[in-house]
Amino acid sequence: MYGLIWKDFLVLRKTLRLYVLFLLGYLGMALLGIFDLTFVTTFCVVILMILPISAFSYDEFARWDRYARTLPLSSRQIVGGRYLFVLLLLLVVAAIGAVSAVLLSLTGSADLWESLGAQLASLGAALFIVDVMLPLNYRLGPEKARPFLFAVTFLPFILLFLLAKADILDLSFLDRLRPGQVIAGFILVLLTALAGLAVSFLISCRVTERKEY
Amino acid sequence: MTNCIEIKGLCKSYPDFSLQNIDLTLPGGTIMGLIGENGAGKTTTIKCILNLIRRDAGEITLLGRDNLREERAAKAGVGVVLDECVFHDALRPRDLERILAPVYPTWDNGLYRDYLDKFRLPGKNLIKTFSRGMKMKLSLAAALAHRPQLLILDEATAGLDPVVRDEILDEFLNFICDEDHAILISSHITSDLEKAADYITYLHQGRVVLSQPKDELLDRYGRVGCSTGDLAAIEPGDLLRVRRGTFGCEGLTSDRDVFQKKYPGLTVDPASLEDIMLLIGKGESLCTD
Repeated sequence: MYGLIWKDFLVLRKTLRLYVLFLLGYLGMALLGIFDLTFVTTFCVVILMILPISAFSYDEFARWDRYARTLPLSSRQIVGGRYLFVLLLLLVVAAIGAVSAVLLSLTGSADLWESLGAQLASLGAALFIVDVMLPLNYRLGPEKARPFLFAVTFLPFILLFLLAKADILDLSFLDRLRPGQVIAGFILVLLTALAGLAVSFLISCRVTERKEY
Repeated sequence: MTNCIEIKGLCKSYPDFSLQNIDLTLPGGTIMGLIGENGAGKTTTIKCILNLIRRDAGEITLLGRDNLREERAAKAGVGVVLDECVFHDALRPRDLERILAPVYPTWDNGLYRDYLDKFRLPGKNLIKTFSRGMKMKLSLAAALAHRPQLLILDEATAGLDPVVRDEILDEFLNFICDEDHAILISSHITSDLEKAADYITYLHQGRVVLSQPKDELLDRYGRVGCSTGDLAAIEPGDLLRVRRGTFGCEGLTSDRDVFQKKYPGLTVDPASLEDIMLLIGKGESLCTD
């Protein structure tokens, strides 16, 4: 399984290198006051959402999946490799985001807890999307699953907007939340997304066990 | 000598094709060539062996282990080369060490690098810069580096030039010097199998129509060339299949010496694997005339 995690990092190393350069660039500009931390946070979210899907695309292009099934690994281990890759990616982008927040708070450009809270919420939301996209990629393949990325990303926001507009959902309570409650809410979002990742893993295992190559 | 592959009563059905009652035994120390036209069931058989698809019926034993119940243990002793290189263009041959070493407990980095040197594959170049021949040699190096007992190759030599094919065939012959090793290779290139294989299994429309030692096939089978008039004089049971053309007919006999004695006026040549494939695949039974 560790070999498969290595494989994802090695296949994506060029992209990863580029993304890290971009992140450092954004961070540098944020430290200079050209951008605020939102750029770094957004880029972390993009990395977390895009790279796992890119890994599926590269595998499909190389026709790796069929070969992977010939290795002495169970389908659970093969799927587990991809999920651990996602978790490691989450840790890396979370660490980069946290370091950025600390650096910006030291220069006085941003409030540390506010920045960390925003990071948590953004990564949690991104992880929710990944939770849905991974089984879809296993089921449909990256080509057919791609349109769902837009649906999964935007539909919840459109739905929330419509419900709020139609006075079915009252979101005004968000304005009354205390800072501590907001941070707790953000942590809950990330923890729920992590629990979702476990459910997503089980679904993906079931999908791959039934799949023929 | 143990059997490296044993298949009994393998069946797999698709809406437009079915693999029917495949029985196959690959003894250790031998190479078996799996031949047959496109869509005959060669790849389906290999996929069933590797459990890439679910079979409908039958039993498959790999290196003495059931390929479903002991799948991982069975696959640990198998090296697989598929019809195309499955390693990503963005990888380098050296990267495969990091990927495959944790997968195979018996992976040998030294052996892998020896193969890279032997096949003249630059370890630090991107795989996307490799020719098809280099990619297939890389696949073979990766398949051999964990010291497997059994090699399974699905059309691995297709599209390669004769020099590369010869190099790969030499490696196969080295591999089976060990009596515990065996190779199952599906191929359209019958000349390669005539050089290297010990057994030939011919699949036609999802059934095994021939499974015999290669030497026995090449020594005994014969291709009979004759006119339509001559053909009428041949007893139906004496030819397995016949093909009728504008300028004459040809038939396949399973014992050319016996046939020659019975019909001294007819020309009987040794049949190549290609002749056997063509006559069985495209020919018809003499009895239907």
